[in-house]
Amino acid sequence: MMVNIPIKDSFIELSARERVNSILDPGTFREVLGPFDRMESPHLSIQGIVPQSDDGVVVGRGLIEGESAVVIAIEGDFQGGGIGEVSGAKIAGALELVLRDHENGVCTRPVMILETGGVRLQEGNYGLLAIAEIGAAIVALRPYTPVVGIIAGMIGCFGGMSICAGLCSHIIMTRQGRLELNGPEVIEQEAGILEFDSSNRQMIWEIAGGEQRYATGFADKLVDDDIKAINSAVIDVFSEGIPTQYRSSSVDRYLSFLSQIDPTKPLNPRMIKEIWENKQEDIKTIGESFHHFKEQQVESKGALSRGRVWIEALSGQSQSIITATSSVICVDSMINNERVRYISVVPSENNRFPRARQGEVGLDEGWAIAYFVQEAIREDKADDRRAIVAIVDVPSQAYGYREELLGINLACAAAADAYASARLAGHPVISLIVGNAISGAFLAHGLQANRLIALDAPDVTVQVMSKESASRITRRSIKEIEETAKKIPATAYDIQSFFQLGALTELVQGINADAPDKKDIQHVLEKVQSLIIEVRSSKRDLSNRLQSAEAGRYRFASIRVRELLAAQWN
Amino acid sequence: MEEIAFEYSAVKKISKRSHVGVAGSGDLEILIEPSDDLQARITIRTSVEGLKDVWKSIFDRFFYANNIAAVIEINDFGATPGVISLRLAQAVEVLEI
Repeated sequence: MMVNIPIKDSFIELSARERVNSILDPGTFREVLGPFDRMESPHLSIQGIVPQSDDGVVVGRGLIEGESAVVIAIEGDFQGGGIGEVSGAKIAGALELVLRDHENGVCTRPVMILETGGVRLQEGNYGLLAIAEIGAAIVALRPYTPVVGIIAGMIGCFGGMSICAGLCSHIIMTRQGRLELNGPEVIEQEAGILEFDSSNRQMIWEIAGGEQRYATGFADKLVDDDIKAINSAVIDVFSEGIPTQYRSSSVDRYLSFLSQIDPTKPLNPRMIKEIWENKQEDIKTIGESFHHFKEQQVESKGALSRGRVWIEALSGQSQSIITATSSVICVDSMINNERVRYISVVPSENNRFPRARQGEVGLDEGWAIAYFVQEAIREDKADDRRAIVAIVDVPSQAYGYREELLGINLACAAAADAYASARLAGHPVISLIVGNAISGAFLAHGLQANRLIALDAPDVTVQVMSKESASRITRRSIKEIEETAKKIPATAYDIQSFFQLGALTELVQGINADAPDKKDIQHVLEKVQSLIIEVRSSKRDLSNRLQSAEAGRYRFASIRVRELLAAQWN
Repeated sequence: MEEIAFEYSAVKKISKRSHVGVAGSGDLEILIEPSDDLQARITIRTSVEGLKDVWKSIFDRFFYANNIAAVIEINDFGATPGVISLRLAQAVEVLEI
């Protein structure tokens, strides 16, 4: 007897360029900013790393079902698909041009093929800023067209780009694809091998593989590793159109989902599937979900942190603050005649998730931030939108087994989504960096603001991950990492180096960050108020970050990539 | 990283350009473009240092077979001589000479 085995053409085995070609209608692929433009990373060869002519991102213009389209693919074989200044600017710049097309009535379809370890550590904060700009573009674009992400494998989608995946309108995955915020090695480094064994491949795929992500609502389509199957999934999601609610905006669904989790008990992937399936019929109201959190909360102030010091100082209140979890503080206050909502993440020894007790942005924190920001959007009238001030003192996102299983990438995306949506709705959003502003936590809480300001004080830092983890991933000694930081400010940790990249509006001098006196507080309040006034009459996107004198010098490549993309777009 | 450059005199003009490969583990990226004169210029950036002689013999053999007036740029991430020759053959195929 003959058995018909269906013949499949592997998508995973294709290079990024071949993948782009396979998604676009036959014969329509035209590469924008291709290898012969030689827009390679300006930061790699000075570190002794061989660059690539396209910096590992392929931007292909063409048609999908006869409609204008752009397919952006990250090449996982080059530097693990890491997002550097140029590769990040290619993605962000292309999405910004899709937005421009839609504003001009041209319906260009955006598809991203995500094969990435996240920020390219050798370019540090360049990657972080680019990922914030990619996220901002996705949120701005979603109301016009589905923004589609494909995670085929074998690298998967990690780090800041997993937050961008969370922002997409649709995610298509194969069983081989993985979607995870923190890479396995990084979790093991930060949380220990008992929390997460990075050599246990079966466990990793059971948590983050396409099958589990699809079954627990973190992806929309599960397809075979087959070019035809992926093509028809892409066509399907465009015909389904814009979702009625984006995944990363669905605060009630996910708060309700998380309220059914008891972190004191063991948890496994199968249990998450069951809870997710139950939940479909039984979505609690936000009030009920928050009630659950409040029951968990014991009156305790937790460790003193700059996040707590500054929210109390600026709002003038240490009582009558709204808290959702014990770790997210929200206060409504006034600066003269401006209504302001302050939000801060603080350490709490009572946090029900042990991996989020040091002030990290964890699952509850991401969704609670999203709740408070969405509430402000909902409550305010279009012509009277209060300012939102994110007080940033976040050591990292939470690293843990439960965190990955329960989709911490989406919790971070929810917070980023809320801040970006508030900014686009006309709320002036200001980030005040008073302490650590690290990685996914900063992408969630701070980087979507209209304006960023920081205190010029010791221990005010911006970076992608701890030196220990960066050392393990890049196989360099900590001494080598510190040497590189002297040459490339984007890889340094201090706030003066970050200031050189031009995204900070101001570095506020002469402030005691740990114990501000009245004069310090008044000075910062004046700065915040003048920024609020400035933002009210400025553009609502993040373009100002590339317009400063510092950006002109240190983010020259980010600007150049956008100019070349625009010149070659049509 | 080591940077290596070679020049050869060449006779065969080319009209197309070609791009193959990725600067990923055990692989290399090759860009070939026509040169303005009858010279071939090769620049190599490789992550593996100290193998200039190996590259020289690969290109001696390559130009013996394909005497093209081309500017060749290579970004190498530790490809073996076998992989390098294979990628070069692939790049030449794209040129359709």
